[in-house]
Amino acid sequence: MSEFSGCPGSRMMQFNNESENVAENGKRSSQLAQWPIQLHLVSPQAPYFQGSDLLLSADCVAYALADFHKDYLKGKSLAIACPKLDDGQDSYVGKLAALIDEARINTITIMIMQVPCCRGLLSIVKQAQQQSKREIPVKLMVVSLQGEILSEDWI
Amino acid sequence: MNVKVYMNKGIKEVINEFPEVGTLLEELGIGCVTCSVGTCLLKDVIKVHGFPADQERIAMSKIGKIINPDEVIDIQDAQTVIEKKAPQVIKYSPPIKRLVEEHDMIKRLLAFIPPVIADIQKEGGIDIKVIEDCVYYIRNYADRFHHAKEEDILFKYTDESQDIIQVMYEDHKTGRNFVKSVEAGLKACAGDDVIKGLNGYRELLTQHIKKEDEILYPWIDRTLTTKLVGELLSSFSEADRSFGLDITEKFEIFLNGLDTKYRNLKEELK
Repeated sequence: MSEFSGCPGSRMMQFNNESENVAENGKRSSQLAQWPIQLHLVSPQAPYFQGSDLLLSADCVAYALADFHKDYLKGKSLAIACPKLDDGQDSYVGKLAALIDEARINTITIMIMQVPCCRGLLSIVKQAQQQSKREIPVKLMVVSLQGEILSEDWI
Repeated sequence: MNVKVYMNKGIKEVINEFPEVGTLLEELGIGCVTCSVGTCLLKDVIKVHGFPADQERIAMSKIGKIINPDEVIDIQDAQTVIEKKAPQVIKYSPPIKRLVEEHDMIKRLLAFIPPVIADIQKEGGIDIKVIEDCVYYIRNYADRFHHAKEEDILFKYTDESQDIIQVMYEDHKTGRNFVKSVEAGLKACAGDDVIKGLNGYRELLTQHIKKEDEILYPWIDRTLTTKLVGELLSSFSEADRSFGLDITEKFEIFLNGLDTKYRNLKEELK
């Protein structure tokens, strides 16, 4: 069988997820505090963005990360996007710049998957930072396909 | 000698009584021996340096053994060598990184103090303008622009009663006194007093900046949530705007001027 040579983001894989001794019982509350969430649809004028800590998540992250709501979404506003497949990404930069300058968000936490195509989300944020008048802290978190945090750094 | 009693004593007092503790701390890369204040409690000294919990326990057990060799200390392996904290690139949050960058500017000024002093000694007189400008930037950049952010903003995010914070306040106060002595020396045309004040300031600030960059700032960073990091950066930006953002540019120009004036002398002194 020839070696895979396409985009790592599209590479087919199967995982064996044998549960460790982790308590799976109990019901968790959703930490989503807004609608909509897709970056094309959200408005910088929405009240839940004003002065908030924004979580900008790649689409796939919440599926990979078992405790997404509990550990990462809680207390934050949210916007999601796919830097590989979304159309009209030019508007993303302006939308994020407006969130920084008009909604005066406090911080941005970017969560992406480890696959290379996800890095485009970081590039979009950097362009938005260059367009913005305000300086805010931006953190990048990279998630593995198995749902582990590979890195977490201020950029 | 009950080890528990010593856990609540200032580290300088412990090292004075048990110099071996100072040796052990130096092996661990902890610089308490050279600290000018040394009032941090023994029990807090290793914790504040961010060792993993198991290594912290081993370190404290070794210290306990030094203080009282007869006391039974809970230690898995008395021969275990603590992995020395390898020098690492410290990653700071954005507001803390801003303070570290300001430290870099201040360190550039400190590096010019030896050639300034050598010039005084060589020429037999004081270049009043240079010294006055150094005092101006120490007062305005190092103190009002930088230390004010620490005292009025950053330290409020900590428990200010903690010894490590009190040590920093004490260093700031001592630094201000050195600057006053330089000014008094200038007024009295007393070169020796100017030299003593400048040297004292340089030695103090060199140690102080090292303590902040390597210990205090990483320790504070470990306690900051994402939300607090954002608030801190916003507060720093507001403080910088109120002060006047051109101070950094002016300081940079001054430092470049010093570089031109003292480049050769700086090389000779190396």
